[in-house]
Amino acid sequence: MGDKNVLVIGGGTAGLSAAVELANLGVHVELIEKSKFLGGHAIGYTCKAIENTCVKCGACMVEEKLQSAVFHPNINVLAASQVQNISQNNRFSANIRQESLVIDPEKCTNCGLCLNRCPMEGAILQGFSKNNHPFYAVNIKKCLYFKDRSCTICRDECPETAIDLDKKASEHTIEADAVLIAIGFKPFNPKDKPYGYGRFNNVVTGLDLERMLKQSGRVKKPSDNKLPQKIAFIQCVGSRDAKLNHLWCSKVCCGSALRMARLIKERQPKTEIAFFYMDVQTFGKDFEPFYREAQKDIRMIRAIPGDIYEMDDRRLKINFVNNSTHETKEEIVDLVVLSVGITPVEDIGTMSRIFKIGPDESGFLRTDHNGVFTAGTVQGPMSIPETIANSGSVAWKIKKYIDGLTIDD
Amino acid sequence: MKKQTLILGNGPCAVAVAENLLTVGSKIIIATKDDVGGFIGYADSEDLQILTETRLVSCQGSVGNFRIEATQNNKSVTIDAGRIIIAEEDQRTSNFSLYGLKASSNVIPLSRMKILLNDTSPEESVLSEIKKVIFLTGIVKESTPVIANEVMESSLLLQKEFNIQTYILTKNLKVVGDGLESLYRETKNAGTIYIKFTDSLPGIYQEEDTIRIEFVDEITSRNFRLTPDMTVVDETIVASPYLTDLTKIFHIEADADGFVQADNVHRYPVLTNRKGIMVTGPSRGILTDDDQRIDAENAALAVTGLAEEEMETKLEKAEIHSEKCIQCLNCYHLCPHHAITLNERVEVEPDACEGCGICTANCLGGAIRIKNLNLQAILHQIKTGDVAQAEQTFTPLLVAFCCSRSAVQARELALCMGHELPLGLKVIQVPCAGAISYDHIFAVLKNGADGIMLLTCHKGNCHSERGNIFAGQVVKLIKGIFSIIGFEKERLSIQTLASNMGTEFSWITNRFEKTIAALGPSRLMKNQWPENQRRPNMKGNTG
Repeated sequence: MGDKNVLVIGGGTAGLSAAVELANLGVHVELIEKSKFLGGHAIGYTCKAIENTCVKCGACMVEEKLQSAVFHPNINVLAASQVQNISQNNRFSANIRQESLVIDPEKCTNCGLCLNRCPMEGAILQGFSKNNHPFYAVNIKKCLYFKDRSCTICRDECPETAIDLDKKASEHTIEADAVLIAIGFKPFNPKDKPYGYGRFNNVVTGLDLERMLKQSGRVKKPSDNKLPQKIAFIQCVGSRDAKLNHLWCSKVCCGSALRMARLIKERQPKTEIAFFYMDVQTFGKDFEPFYREAQKDIRMIRAIPGDIYEMDDRRLKINFVNNSTHETKEEIVDLVVLSVGITPVEDIGTMSRIFKIGPDESGFLRTDHNGVFTAGTVQGPMSIPETIANSGSVAWKIKKYIDGLTIDD
Repeated sequence: MKKQTLILGNGPCAVAVAENLLTVGSKIIIATKDDVGGFIGYADSEDLQILTETRLVSCQGSVGNFRIEATQNNKSVTIDAGRIIIAEEDQRTSNFSLYGLKASSNVIPLSRMKILLNDTSPEESVLSEIKKVIFLTGIVKESTPVIANEVMESSLLLQKEFNIQTYILTKNLKVVGDGLESLYRETKNAGTIYIKFTDSLPGIYQEEDTIRIEFVDEITSRNFRLTPDMTVVDETIVASPYLTDLTKIFHIEADADGFVQADNVHRYPVLTNRKGIMVTGPSRGILTDDDQRIDAENAALAVTGLAEEEMETKLEKAEIHSEKCIQCLNCYHLCPHHAITLNERVEVEPDACEGCGICTANCLGGAIRIKNLNLQAILHQIKTGDVAQAEQTFTPLLVAFCCSRSAVQARELALCMGHELPLGLKVIQVPCAGAISYDHIFAVLKNGADGIMLLTCHKGNCHSERGNIFAGQVVKLIKGIFSIIGFEKERLSIQTLASNMGTEFSWITNRFEKTIAALGPSRLMKNQWPENQRRPNMKGNTG
């Protein structure tokens, strides 16, 4: 016990959950995460409880997994790190490159002065969880120092001298008995849909809304920071779409969107909400009563809009065909939320190459052979509770494999 | 040496659990109320014992040491087990009555159609005479992806193997499952016609042997009348009634539909409110075959894990001082983890105790202690004069009892996010809001608090299931007392939070500060301040 090592690639819900399960079994885990903050997409999700009652979205579970992982003695975390290459000779040997973290976690006290003083918007990034430590990171794509060395304000003013703008990237070698690929999903990019995402400020994605609610507790129009009077949710953007060959339901969007819609109705009761959908999908054990309540407050429109235009006053005109009358109808709203689907993440390509395993026909990656495993949404759409269950089952498989109890066919 | 694990059930999920445990060399015992079922071909061995026709009667002890009494063919048997995994199969009820239909040779439930499709070759089947089949699913009551999958698979076979025209009448087609959207497309390509209802419903008429279904198609707005040769009615998956017995025997929570496992994210995927008792697959909800396999692996993981033993030692456990115990049995009845046992004395099972403190808050004799929860330790944290008072402004001393799993974490996030919190806010961490007693609140009030908040987990998110509800009852009662004695009720507040609600933590606490600042200092306090530290707006009030 304790002499086995597992490399977990990806520090989102799946990677964290599987790492914690393995670590609890006495397995040592090296967890590497590409971005600067652990927790994946879901750590930015908001709690959607209404009427002081949990609606089982699972966002708090991600927080709990993150907390367990960062304090676990059997888990070693490398943020801002990626696999360069990997060789397998009984065990795996992986070369990892860790980008410079710039802010020293040992010294940083999360005071936030760097963010306050930074003259470039977006150059200091903020985490989502108190277990994102440091809570701040330097975005070298925006930082002026990395552009032309013209600014060193954060370094100069940091009271703890925690910022080293010249810090170099580092290389690590990790030996492992098994590898878990838990690199998550890519939210569908709706810029090619006729909904004006990226062109109209007040068209946002479901993920944007999750983060907005988590940050500020309210929904505001990005154009002027004012509260919207009328919001439209559009479901199945990039899911169940034969034209894109996306022949899957993303599973999480109906739950996420309806829960956020009800949360908004509770916090900003004057807001009118329209919900464009194909079929409302079941989520959770309390789906029926939840959906019944939702239908009282939210106007359900069974249609997927054709396109969206921005009007002179920045309001948005949504065109859709009314099913029963066949007339083109329009709906004018202040904010549009696109429920973008779960799609395969680009890094599946890299992983396929490194580990010589091919994705399935939809482009997702699923394997449990020869010491290489996948968990979570890299396998396909999953909710947070499903991801946690899936990761537990994969942790079990990994444990059996490293103990020599698996017979590979 | 670990004791054997008891598995309840004889279906595919129970078999999957057993297989996983046998692989890692665990000792298991299977008790099924029916025959061997899926365990056919399994022989008793040193690691495996199967008890058929065995129904549980009672269970004593706790994790690591359960003693279960059962009956097998009217004889009683005793089973000792370290862990218990519930894997009973679910049941199905046909939805004929929802559609106003009666079963007949051509109105059949979905399960019957599955049997027809499985049993015979196309040529010999009763289906060979049939040209048109209608499926009714999720029209009156929402369907589930498990049922939708069966409907679509049956429909596909009818189209492809039997050349039968199929219609699926539904409201929301449930494609929220692996491969279901592809299956939907495949059935459409094979010729299945989908008719979806949104606001309207079809008229369904049964006269002797004929079924007539009339509706206005929502897409074409045209009237349709269908007269199928066979009508297949969907089913509702329900919990086995045996689970009701098991919830009582084991003192475990069930959800609103009778499945074992409260609808609480902290229990996902296979945990219950009792340590060492796991629940899987069709005993905890409506799950696909894949999800049942995943459950079985998670249960095996939970049984094998050292986690519980190693990590929980950090918890402060409840201790009963028997000389003070008046045997009111509040602890026994209220413990959400069933960690209190009744022998000659009332005792805490340390392995089962999760340290929530609900017993201490409700102990009439004051006999139960958890370190860090006693009054002295808490009052030590609150002292009058703790809050520096600026000239002319009143900074209220606000005491927030915060649940360690939610509000304590939310506060840390609020600070990280740079939110300003009230100057006079004092946080007292409690393992669960259910640990807060009347004594705590009155003592804190007496010690100088101008306002008291109980910040708990949301309903349905309490790790101890009802801790937040108990806290709510305490608040309600004390507010009642306040109104009788004419003390401002607003000084006591209960709010719910989750660990990831940093922004909301700052809203709630700042709003409370405003309320209390407007009320002014607590009058319980007015004579306790030394003359030179009197709060500014108390001048003239002290005479």
